[in-house]
Amino acid sequence: MATQQNPVQYAKAIQYQLNSIVTPVPVYATFNRNFAIEPKFLTWMLRNVHQEVFTGQTQSNKSIDRPTFQISIFTQQIEDGFTISNQILQSLHGFSGLFGGATNGFWIAKADVTWLYNSYDNDDKLAQVFLDCTLDIPT
Amino acid sequence: MPLPTKVLPGFTASLYVQPASTPTPLTTAQLSLIASVSPLTISGNLLQVEAVPVFGQDDAVASFMVAGSRQSDKLPTQSAPTSMTITVAWNPSDTVLLLIRADAYSGLIDRTYVVQATDGTSTVNYAFNARVGQFQIDSQPGAEAKAVFTLHPRGNQYGWTNTA
Repeated sequence: MATQQNPVQYAKAIQYQLNSIVTPVPVYATFNRNFAIEPKFLTWMLRNVHQEVFTGQTQSNKSIDRPTFQISIFTQQIEDGFTISNQILQSLHGFSGLFGGATNGFWIAKADVTWLYNSYDNDDKLAQVFLDCTLDIPT
Repeated sequence: MPLPTKVLPGFTASLYVQPASTPTPLTTAQLSLIASVSPLTISGNLLQVEAVPVFGQDDAVASFMVAGSRQSDKLPTQSAPTSMTITVAWNPSDTVLLLIRADAYSGLIDRTYVVQATDGTSTVNYAFNARVGQFQIDSQPGAEAKAVFTLHPRGNQYGWTNTA
């Protein structure tokens, strides 16, 4: 039996957690025009927020939530992006505990980080590294 | 003392092994006592299992017929505790794994094991006494080497506990 988790809470927690890992590098929810002023920064995108729904008429008959968020690292120096990605891997991969700080955080059973790929955008003159992180959240 | 009141991901379950080569397993009463079980659930006793398999009790029934009755009856009878086949990443020097290996060689050593699951604040423990009935190293080249072993729990020797 579970209530649907609040995506707003997820967003706040992700923002807080990423920020605490990579500080002083700024973390944004969207790309904006940050590429013009910041030598290195992060954005994240939350997706696949979904609690499996079980059978029956009771709405709270649901399972755990396993949302995924993509982390996009943008840097002017390619090596900086790899260094930041390592910071995130070391801190987040396999992490179990309070995710997102005392105010908006919640307990997660596991964070599973996949280092996807790196790239380079010639228009923005920014190197990029992309990671996926899946959370297992008891509900 | 409250239990976790959440649907738990499978990842929250972890397996702890009582230390020492000739352990004194917990008594049946102690298996249901948090003060006896919690000292075992420390990181030094953690076994790095890939996943905790199903645990609990197998099914066993006796059915019999009554003359003149349309349906027979099924009675739960002596059902064995579920044997747990466990896969662990094989580190030859892992002290906990060496205990398991020695237990398998002996076949007679009783040891207390604890399956612990948590929602972050509350914790539930399933403690049981078991012997090791199998120990195999699977070193196929496509993946990391694995140690596979089976725990055979002793009948009636288990207990549930939870923290505050």
